[in-house]
Amino acid sequence: MRKILLGIAITSTLFTSCSNDDDSNNQNTQVEAPLTYQFARGGNSTVNFEGQTTRIQMAMAFSSALNDNTKTAADLQGMFSHMEGENNFSDAELNASGKNIRSKVAASKDYFSANTTVSNDIKNLMDSWIEQQATTVFVNKDVTATTGTAGKLQQAGGGSIRYVNAKGLELNQAISKTLIGALMTDQMLNNYLSTSVLDEGSNIDNNNKDVVENGKPYTTMEHKWDEAYGYLYGNEDNPESPVLDADSFLNTYLNQVDADPDFAGTASAVYDALKLGRAAIVAKNYDVRDAQVAIIRENISLVIAVRAVHYLQGGKEELAAGDTARAFHELSEGLGFINSLQFTRQPNTDAPYFTHEEVTGFMAKLMESNGFWDVTPETLDSMSAAIAAKFGFTVAAAAD
Amino acid sequence: MIKKIVLFLGLALIVSCSTSDDSPSGGTTDDFDRAALLTNLADNIIIPSYQDFGPKLSTLKGAIESFVATPNQSTLNTARTNWLTAYKAWQHVEMFNIGKAEALNQYYYFMNIYPVTVSDIETGVNTGSYDLNSSNYHDAQGFPALDYLLYGVASDDAGILSKYASDANAQGYKDYLTAVIDQMDSLTQQVITDWTTVYRNQFVNSTQNTATSSLNKFVNDYIFYYEKGLRANKFGIPAGVFSTAPLPEKVEAYYNQEVSKALSLEALNAVQNVFNGKAFNSSATGASFKTYLEHLNTNRGGQNLSTIINDQFNLARTKIEGLNSSFSQQVTADNSKMTDTYDVLQMAVVYLKVDMVQAFNISVDYVDADGD
Repeated sequence: MRKILLGIAITSTLFTSCSNDDDSNNQNTQVEAPLTYQFARGGNSTVNFEGQTTRIQMAMAFSSALNDNTKTAADLQGMFSHMEGENNFSDAELNASGKNIRSKVAASKDYFSANTTVSNDIKNLMDSWIEQQATTVFVNKDVTATTGTAGKLQQAGGGSIRYVNAKGLELNQAISKTLIGALMTDQMLNNYLSTSVLDEGSNIDNNNKDVVENGKPYTTMEHKWDEAYGYLYGNEDNPESPVLDADSFLNTYLNQVDADPDFAGTASAVYDALKLGRAAIVAKNYDVRDAQVAIIRENISLVIAVRAVHYLQGGKEELAAGDTARAFHELSEGLGFINSLQFTRQPNTDAPYFTHEEVTGFMAKLMESNGFWDVTPETLDSMSAAIAAKFGFTVAAAAD
Repeated sequence: MIKKIVLFLGLALIVSCSTSDDSPSGGTTDDFDRAALLTNLADNIIIPSYQDFGPKLSTLKGAIESFVATPNQSTLNTARTNWLTAYKAWQHVEMFNIGKAEALNQYYYFMNIYPVTVSDIETGVNTGSYDLNSSNYHDAQGFPALDYLLYGVASDDAGILSKYASDANAQGYKDYLTAVIDQMDSLTQQVITDWTTVYRNQFVNSTQNTATSSLNKFVNDYIFYYEKGLRANKFGIPAGVFSTAPLPEKVEAYYNQEVSKALSLEALNAVQNVFNGKAFNSSATGASFKTYLEHLNTNRGGQNLSTIINDQFNLARTKIEGLNSSFSQQVTADNSKMTDTYDVLQMAVVYLKVDMVQAFNISVDYVDADGD
């Protein structure tokens, strides 16, 4: 996989040099990616994505709070839509930040700038999940969950206790896994890697002439690309050489998919494309850049699809084995990943692999009547098959 | 999987080799007569729009003077009627932030920044100490301040009249109201005089394609107005597109409560008329963005871009017509209709700000400042 990708990258530089009638300065430049994600101008690093790091850290704190039954709905909503100076977090730096999670949920330029109505629907669903977590799940923390009643369920063999709503859905999982799509993936694939953002205004001209942002060492285009990088690697100790498993979001699930031999190489494909694409911006070679965008979009989208199918299948097996708690846990993660599918991006199109309507239909199917309490293996299999087929992998490949 | 990637990349490479450049289809050399476009804009749209607005504002000034001299229900009603007439006419000139309007450090800053900061107005009324030339008072003057002073200083008309007749600060209210309309009138006269004396020729004769040429600036002002003045201020901000929750108190003409829709329809008509080069005083059309795009044969997805843009404006108008006449009530009752309208307006931003400017070979001189 790796070799092939490298081959492709080289071929692509050769091929793209034939389109030499555009107005870039150095269209014949051979683009070479550095060993690690390290770029400098005049001795100063040009890489910066602290805003992304902040939002990932907010999302991590929020995600743990969703499991803390001492929190009120207002506490949780405060973390989700933090306002500068409010003490929603235990970390003073996060409290001081003017950023928040909610404002970047379903907020990419390509998908949502002219789709605020759908964006609001997505955010409103998350708001209602957050509210329910406090008002229906936390209050029933000592009740054993049964069909139609929220409460706790313990995994077999004295395992973890899971807290579910009346339909068996672990809301914290649905929320966290939705964020992987709605925040990280959407911002990365449909905002910062989009030509509508990378090439906005005079960005190409400024990048061609090395005109940097006021008081900064980077051009706007370089910075936008780095912000995409930051949504994936922003919480790494040393982001230029990522080791993965550095958050509980996209970074970690890229690692998990990569660890499946059927999808080995996915992580390096993404990293290599991000490096080469950034180098292409420095070299002002936008054809090479855009070819990397396609690679990133395909592979990041794949991560979400593989995990969706993985958890649907895992849930099905646990249901068969009679471990309701473990089954509902996996199905809840699956539902969140399914919701995230609407933020994927089919390379070289303006469309996700599954639309908002399609994922809403999938989720409704999983939640119909008593939800996970009476979902059938046939439903889980047909949904898994539909997702896998669209991406061109097998259900079996994702299941293990 | 791997095969798919290779296949896909192969296709991408072939495509990248066959494209000659990234401009929209057409590719005719640009011999469009920019001077004709500028002349039509100046003589048939901009100057007539101002010549309609100026007298309406003067009439409003007279009505306010009568109200200040004799505050009663009748003079209040007349002032309000003339406020609405002038406010509608204003919607046709706000986008022309060029020439004197720009040189005044943004004429529209003194005319239509909302929501107003009520405390600035009330403090000014109480103390008599305020400076309408200061940027601190941009949000305490213009039509939005008149909206507050004529509709919002008390909860009913009797209360409003008493503010000007019997209140301890009655003179303060009168003085502030007078200062606001005097400022608006004085600035407006300067802008009109400049257009009708020196600026018209300067505007029409600047036919080059540089960042400071007339058309480049005008196109930027036009799109900026559409994006900010129309789309964001009138719809997006109250609908909560840029905030956590909707903000119904941020609509235009908030205190009047009945005309935010009527004003926005005027604004959309003004935008579309400029696009089509339609004369202000008749149904005649001349050289315009539309004829320029047609001259360049600019297409998007196989359809004329000018048709796409007009269709989008028309769709937006249909959406707006379906809204409550008070946008703050619309936002409170069913915000999804408001965001739905916003979405339709936003679609046209892409057509204007990406496709049209590329066809004209004009750079956009501003970007959205919304990153991390």
